[in-house]
Amino acid sequence: MVTMNHPARPDAQASAAPASIRVSNKWVAHALTFLMVFGSGLIVMEADNDAGAVSTYVQAGAQYGTHLLWLLLLLLPISYFVQEMVVRLGIATGQGHAAMIYRRFGKWWGRFSLADLLLVNFLTLMTEFAAIALALGKMGVDPRVGVPIAAVGLTALVTTGSYRRWERTVVFLCLIDLAWFFIAYRVHPAAADIVRQSVMPSLPAGGLTASWLFLVIATVGTTIAPWQLFFQQSCVADKRLRFSDLRWARLDTLVGAVFTILVAGCMMLAGNAGFQRHWDFADPAQTAVQLGGVVGPFVKNALLLLMINAAVLGTTTISLSSAWAYGEVQGWPHSLQKRLRDAPGFYAVYALCVMAAAGLVLIPGAPLQLIILSVQVLAGLMLPSAIIFLQLLLNDKEVLGDRFANKRWNNLINWSIVILLFVLSLLLAAQVAVPRLFPNS
Amino acid sequence: MTLTTEFDDRTRSERVSFEVVHPLDDVPEEKVDTEHLGPMQMTRTVRVCLYALRGYLLLMFGLLGFRVLQLAGVIQS
Repeated sequence: MVTMNHPARPDAQASAAPASIRVSNKWVAHALTFLMVFGSGLIVMEADNDAGAVSTYVQAGAQYGTHLLWLLLLLLPISYFVQEMVVRLGIATGQGHAAMIYRRFGKWWGRFSLADLLLVNFLTLMTEFAAIALALGKMGVDPRVGVPIAAVGLTALVTTGSYRRWERTVVFLCLIDLAWFFIAYRVHPAAADIVRQSVMPSLPAGGLTASWLFLVIATVGTTIAPWQLFFQQSCVADKRLRFSDLRWARLDTLVGAVFTILVAGCMMLAGNAGFQRHWDFADPAQTAVQLGGVVGPFVKNALLLLMINAAVLGTTTISLSSAWAYGEVQGWPHSLQKRLRDAPGFYAVYALCVMAAAGLVLIPGAPLQLIILSVQVLAGLMLPSAIIFLQLLLNDKEVLGDRFANKRWNNLINWSIVILLFVLSLLLAAQVAVPRLFPNS
Repeated sequence: MTLTTEFDDRTRSERVSFEVVHPLDDVPEEKVDTEHLGPMQMTRTVRVCLYALRGYLLLMFGLLGFRVLQLAGVIQS
């Protein structure tokens, strides 16, 4: 029986689902349905404000002040439209993204997509643990103790056999990011600058330089990442969202996109405080320490804890996207609803990703800065091709029919996004190939 | 209130009540069967574009790997 958000039948009492709620007001029913569907959209967006994103946004603020705020505003609709396609595909098929690529493009393309995803995800996980180690170090905690504890905690988070428990915990972690608004308020940014730079794109004083271009591409690559496509579709499938949930899942995704972009803006404003004081940017943890000396120790500790929170969010979601994708392709049981003994392969992949990344970060002298750089470049390179597969799947009327397949306006928007991402990807490729192509400063 | 009116009121209140079920507590919906559809029909152009895209990605992965090794000092420039 599919009974949600519609008038109950007179005999509904006898046949109601065990956990159903009966209400007499339509708007209350809508609100409750939204709250039940809510989660994956906020998580996929806010988890993208991970350790790499904190580093990128704070660096953008520290080096260019509020000059890149317009880019965030531009990325808001782009990130929404891309993730909305994933929601539609997940609700229509009840399958994860990796499974769909395997089924509709065959094993050859499926293996390539999976290999790309696992590689870039693993490197990203290393950056998350590197950030945890860095923040713990600045707080006086030995990373050799803190990092393994974080890895064990992150593994325990998913192995409770309840999707709902995991989702509620992670939504709570996402909401902790509201503290970024407080930090942005405490560093006293100029409101007029924020408004002007958000709506009027402009080049910084030095003009178009290699580092400016790199930050633009890194910001795009940080805001829309390939793992998000796989993650949200698997979430939608695991949560068993129904056809009628589509509008609420869209709203969830939109709320997540708006929240994430606002938080990203606050991160830039935190970095902007350093720009105003002409500090050299080293990393966000260093910025936190410098800000602590000016605004107070609370802000320093809050920033360091938010860095850890961002890394924790990134780790659980990225590891899950790998575990779901691998489980889907292998045909293993792959659901957070399953207990450890019922889906051992799925949980083993998750734990392996987390533990291996945590272990590698603790190796003394590991080239972490190089890994962070590589991850951003790799994600930027992979993104257009990942979206092209998504576009083709969303035009697959054999699977989606007219109801869920892309409309003409969807395609117009999405191909524009693909072209824009490709141009950025080519610029990135050119910069990788010819490092002195653009002036350095 | 007569018995009939009371009955009518109760029926009206039942008619406007709504039942909300969490997706995980609901009976699973029947989705599109993608398992037996087989691979998507692609035109030659789409297929060629996908191969070109794959070639571009492999080339860039290689180039990036080379640059990273160069920056790490493993390969001398």
